[in-house]
Amino acid sequence: MSMESLVNRTLHVNGVDIAFVDQGEGDPVVLLHGFPDSSYLWRHQIPALVEAGFRVIAPDLRGFGESGKPQEIEAYDMQTIVNDVVELTLALGIRKAHLVGHDWGAAIAWMYSFLMPRRVDHLAVLSVGHPGVFSTPTLEQRAASWYMLFYQFPGVSETLLRRNGWRLFKQIMGREGDHTRYLRDLARPGALTAGLNWYRANRSPESELRPERPFPPVLAPTLGIWSAGDKAMMEEGMTGSAKYVKGPWRYERIEDAGHWIPLDAPEQVNKLLIGFLGTEKPAEAANRRRRRL
Amino acid sequence: MTVEYADVVVVGGGIAGASAASKLAAGGLSVVLLEKQKVYQDLVRGEWLAPWGVREAQLLGVADCFAAGGAWEIREWMTWDEAIPADEVEAIDMTRSMPEVGGPQSFPHHAVCELMAAQAAEYGARLVMDAAKIKVTPGVEPRVGYLDNGTEHEIRTRMVLGATGRVGNVGRQIGVSMSGSVHHWGGGMMVEGLDDWPADVQAMGTEGDVMFMVFPQGFGRARLYLNLATGTQHRYRGPDAVRNFLNAFELNCLPDRGKAVTQAIPAGPLAVWPSMTLIPDGPPLTDGVVLIGDEAGNGDTVLGTGLSCSMRDARTVADILLESDDWSVGAFDPYLKERKARMDRLNFGAAIISKLYAEFGPEATERRRRARRLMSQNVALQVTGLLNMVPPEDVPEFGFSEFFAERLFRETA
Repeated sequence: MSMESLVNRTLHVNGVDIAFVDQGEGDPVVLLHGFPDSSYLWRHQIPALVEAGFRVIAPDLRGFGESGKPQEIEAYDMQTIVNDVVELTLALGIRKAHLVGHDWGAAIAWMYSFLMPRRVDHLAVLSVGHPGVFSTPTLEQRAASWYMLFYQFPGVSETLLRRNGWRLFKQIMGREGDHTRYLRDLARPGALTAGLNWYRANRSPESELRPERPFPPVLAPTLGIWSAGDKAMMEEGMTGSAKYVKGPWRYERIEDAGHWIPLDAPEQVNKLLIGFLGTEKPAEAANRRRRRL
Repeated sequence: MTVEYADVVVVGGGIAGASAASKLAAGGLSVVLLEKQKVYQDLVRGEWLAPWGVREAQLLGVADCFAAGGAWEIREWMTWDEAIPADEVEAIDMTRSMPEVGGPQSFPHHAVCELMAAQAAEYGARLVMDAAKIKVTPGVEPRVGYLDNGTEHEIRTRMVLGATGRVGNVGRQIGVSMSGSVHHWGGGMMVEGLDDWPADVQAMGTEGDVMFMVFPQGFGRARLYLNLATGTQHRYRGPDAVRNFLNAFELNCLPDRGKAVTQAIPAGPLAVWPSMTLIPDGPPLTDGVVLIGDEAGNGDTVLGTGLSCSMRDARTVADILLESDDWSVGAFDPYLKERKARMDRLNFGAAIISKLYAEFGPEATERRRRARRLMSQNVALQVTGLLNMVPPEDVPEFGFSEFFAERLFRETA
């Protein structure tokens, strides 16, 4: 089944074909979508950012849209996906970019930011907070993320999700986001397994039990956006992220939007991004200041 | 005028035509699919697919087109009827008759056709929307002419599949005549805001002079149908048509007097039509042209098996075309034979169902009441109901004997 897309370029990086949108001129902004989206999630933001004088890079992350879809679980390790973004920006000659992420894309953006602070200008994260908050979830957050845990049984859940005319998938997704498009995209060969592998590689019971790692601080100015209508993510996941951010931190709550904030509140998101990106100074890296002995 | 060649030309991009085009294109044949609409719109067609039809869709490789087009699995079937006391109403689990498939599915017809046609195009078929003045010339080297944006086109081909539904545009051109009969009238409309209706439950039943049907499509949407006594159809035309249609669901047999339905919001056009049974007088094919779907003859819509039949046709004919190079009239004998046997059974069953549920008045109500009593005493008498779930060939033979029908109606007369 055909799908809508704004993709205009493809590059082979980190062992996989990454299709992406490259539009506009100016300071680069990298837009990272989540599950089960593609760069098309950002269709309302791309023209607004281009108009505001940014160069927009919006990849279809591996497993989604027109990008490659390896079928092994290991291929969807967070570190690997962060490396896709690193290599893509390197290949495009971009040294430092604003990063904007939604859902899984926000998790990737967080990780990118604390691992490679010098490659990040400003960071904007939508819906999903810092993985530090997420790795010590409250009971409430666990309940909200039950669908993540459900996706973990290789082979079984593809069948279950497809069964009876994708009935279970429809119940989980409801009529939010691009609900009609998701099913069409995931029905493409290999797409459902690839999409689910994001969860399998990163939220397996083992990784739930892994002790909390000490996360390096995020130095970039950071904007966190959460929506009151989000059924999967709790507000505390976002507000609790403040302690991991050493740069200027700003939190915005959007009332009339579900989980898919870029689609549900495009005007507000555009306004927030354009008003935020490039306006603040980052925190100094901690190791610059030496303590006198 | 332009001239081109295609292995197969499919005339009509509905359920039968679009699913056949998708299968044939996937199989490597060059296919042109002609659809007369400019864009697919809600024409109030069949929107209920029996479990055996879901299986056909899977075999054709178009099952995901249903799901992505908005199909919703329905799990339970309630009969709310003036002849059944409220405390005797039972929910029938529809997911068990074909466990590998699940329950029947309800979906927006035009959205699914659009996705199927797009899939056919993705597999390499050429899709022509807004194709007008389609002219079919049968023969060993058949030709199809059509008008696209005022330009004349001709396709030289090896095979034409006629799939224009009850319109019968292709059948008429190749001289296949139909014997038609009308038992009652039907009407249908899409609604939303049906929030108080359980999404897993379809319902039907008869009260007064309507037989109602509610098929949920999830998230508060549903397709509503009415079967009407001939002579009452005028109520559902004119300025009050929509209001009268919804008000017709204000029935004593429905919970809360049907309030969940009467307060729904119209979400599509209302259409009213004579419920025709069309039986072809001769075989629905000729040299270089084969009819499929409703165009090859169709049963009374009361049974809800039209779409399943359309896809069975599409699959059978596509398989014949893909399996062998022999596309002569004789190569389609297995199709004609299977179709005849299938339609005989469905027409037999539909006659029983429409006599029981789509006839109105005190006598008919009494007949329904007695039939229900007989069926609850002897479950085997419910055999006709199986036609909604499993393919006709899997329904026990005795359900199609005159003896069975006679007994049912003599004892209920």
